[in-house]
Amino acid sequence: MNLSSRLRNIPFWSWLWFILGALYFILPLYATLDFSLRMERDIIGFKAYLSAFEDPDFLKTFGYSVSIAIVTILVSIILTIPTAYWVRLRLPEARRIVEFITLMPFVVPAIILVFGLIRIYSSPITIPFTDIVLIPPLTTFKFGTSILVVAGYMVLGLPYMYRSVDTGMRTVDVRTLTEAAQSLGANWYTIISQVILPNLRSALLSGALLTFAIVIGEVVLASFLGVPAFGPYLFLLGQHRAFEPAALTFTTFLMTWAAMGIIQLVTGGQGQATGAH
Amino acid sequence: MAYLTLSNISKAFGGGLHEPVLAVKDFDMEIKKGELVSFLGPSGCGKTTTLRMVAGFEMPTTGVILIEGEDITSKLPNQRNVGMVFQSYALFPNMTVGDNIGFGLKIAKKPSEEVKQRVKEMLDLIHMAEYGNRYPYQLSGGQQQRVALARALALKPDVLLLDEPLSALDAKIRVSLRSEIRTIQKQLGITAIYVTHDQEEAMSISDRIVVMHEGKIEQIGTPFEIYNFPTTVFVANFVGTLNTANGEVADPATGLLSVDGVQFESATVLKDRKKGEKVRVAIRPERFNFVSQEKKANVLDCKIENINFLGSIVRIQVLIGNTKFYMDTFNNPLLELPKIGAVEQVTCSREAVLVLDE
Repeated sequence: MNLSSRLRNIPFWSWLWFILGALYFILPLYATLDFSLRMERDIIGFKAYLSAFEDPDFLKTFGYSVSIAIVTILVSIILTIPTAYWVRLRLPEARRIVEFITLMPFVVPAIILVFGLIRIYSSPITIPFTDIVLIPPLTTFKFGTSILVVAGYMVLGLPYMYRSVDTGMRTVDVRTLTEAAQSLGANWYTIISQVILPNLRSALLSGALLTFAIVIGEVVLASFLGVPAFGPYLFLLGQHRAFEPAALTFTTFLMTWAAMGIIQLVTGGQGQATGAH
Repeated sequence: MAYLTLSNISKAFGGGLHEPVLAVKDFDMEIKKGELVSFLGPSGCGKTTTLRMVAGFEMPTTGVILIEGEDITSKLPNQRNVGMVFQSYALFPNMTVGDNIGFGLKIAKKPSEEVKQRVKEMLDLIHMAEYGNRYPYQLSGGQQQRVALARALALKPDVLLLDEPLSALDAKIRVSLRSEIRTIQKQLGITAIYVTHDQEEAMSISDRIVVMHEGKIEQIGTPFEIYNFPTTVFVANFVGTLNTANGEVADPATGLLSVDGVQFESATVLKDRKKGEKVRVAIRPERFNFVSQEKKANVLDCKIENINFLGSIVRIQVLIGNTKFYMDTFNNPLLELPKIGAVEQVTCSREAVLVLDE
């Protein structure tokens, strides 16, 4: 059966819902793109994009958010992989509790998280019953605040990162792979680096890209902690300018698409990993 | 001389708030070098747990495991030279067939030339010389399991452990691969433990079979012994089809038994039993024959109750006295089978009549 006859066989209602769905997503995007290209009267051009990219605050905030996102992703990976691995391997009974904890960011709003962080870390943390300062007030210096931002983003990204990693581990049956590697003489380092991590590549990439998207667009945490992040910048820009926010929104959307494309490219062949029987 | 010794092994799971579950109880056996021993039993009988203790994935609660006299009980899995083949193949998806086979050798820091040579040898051994650069997902289930076998053998392990390696494969491949595994095991002279719940598989591949039930050894013996001379009702029922009936000792001196008033002569020594003692009488279906000219020990009147064709054999349900028995005959289209409801005579040898412990 060729493509045209296949398309003809699709029922009318399927076409209708598909077209309505596509319009729902595509029309606002098209409107944003169209609007962002009309900064100059009667001319279609990229002036809004140039203007947005030339703004030093754009580079500063975008650079800051990208670096915070990278650190957040790295710390998340370092914390999530051993946790998910250990839960799958040795503590399967703890899985429900861990899953519940990882879902907390969906229930507890970011505003509560940020106030909690500010309340605890705006004063020094001392060793109990002494005056010895263990951690200085993190909100009083830039690096300390960035640590809080990373910690907060890590919590916000946890549901995505943990689920991606956990699903990846379930797909490749880490328990049996670990035992197979052990029986061949491998130590823990070799097992993690040569067997587990390479097989979690696509899961890690999915988790990392989702975390990246969250960090780049996040406003609440960054605003209350007063860091020069991209989310608050975009928000402020939207209040004072018309075309540049549209241009940046569309650019962000393109970046997300590119990220999705990368996931597809990287994970494309892995669906067959379960084998032909 | 024992090569692998499992001495008084027990394994308990749980504890704490819950009552510990004893998965393996007092497992005691010795395996000779080059021997292939199957652990056979139903799910949950402790066969895989015992295998995993030999591999080092589970620590025995009591007992010791020795290889050539060396105590390996507390050694980590990566410190025992024990190869393992898993039910789910467990090939590393990110590595080619060649890399999978060479993985253990690289870990052992063998020179790259030696690794290459050994991988080639292993690929030749499993008749997959041209598959070295393929990935596991490009192979069929049978091919993946052969690679897993080669990977486990590449390191020349002291003991090869196979945990239901054929369970995920279809029937035809299972039969061909099990004979391939046996051929390779004999060729290399490697000591192996094979876990299965498939009695036919265990029968066809093993030097000896350990039948397990509820964590305990029920019987250890050659396939011939296990099938023909089961010592417990469980073994007799689990391995093959068996007629069992409640009976009693009629005459201990002559080996005479009574099942619901019908007398059976048995070759089993009954001198230690008393007259009237309740026993379990067991006869394999294929040990019954229709009476021909040559008269044998147990000649029994029976009524044909039912006839089932099972391919190469025909299973006939007969009523002897008030007790139902099955008898198996080869499916020979040239011979006429009795009619249902007909009254016939069947016979079986004295050796066929077993007396089992509960």
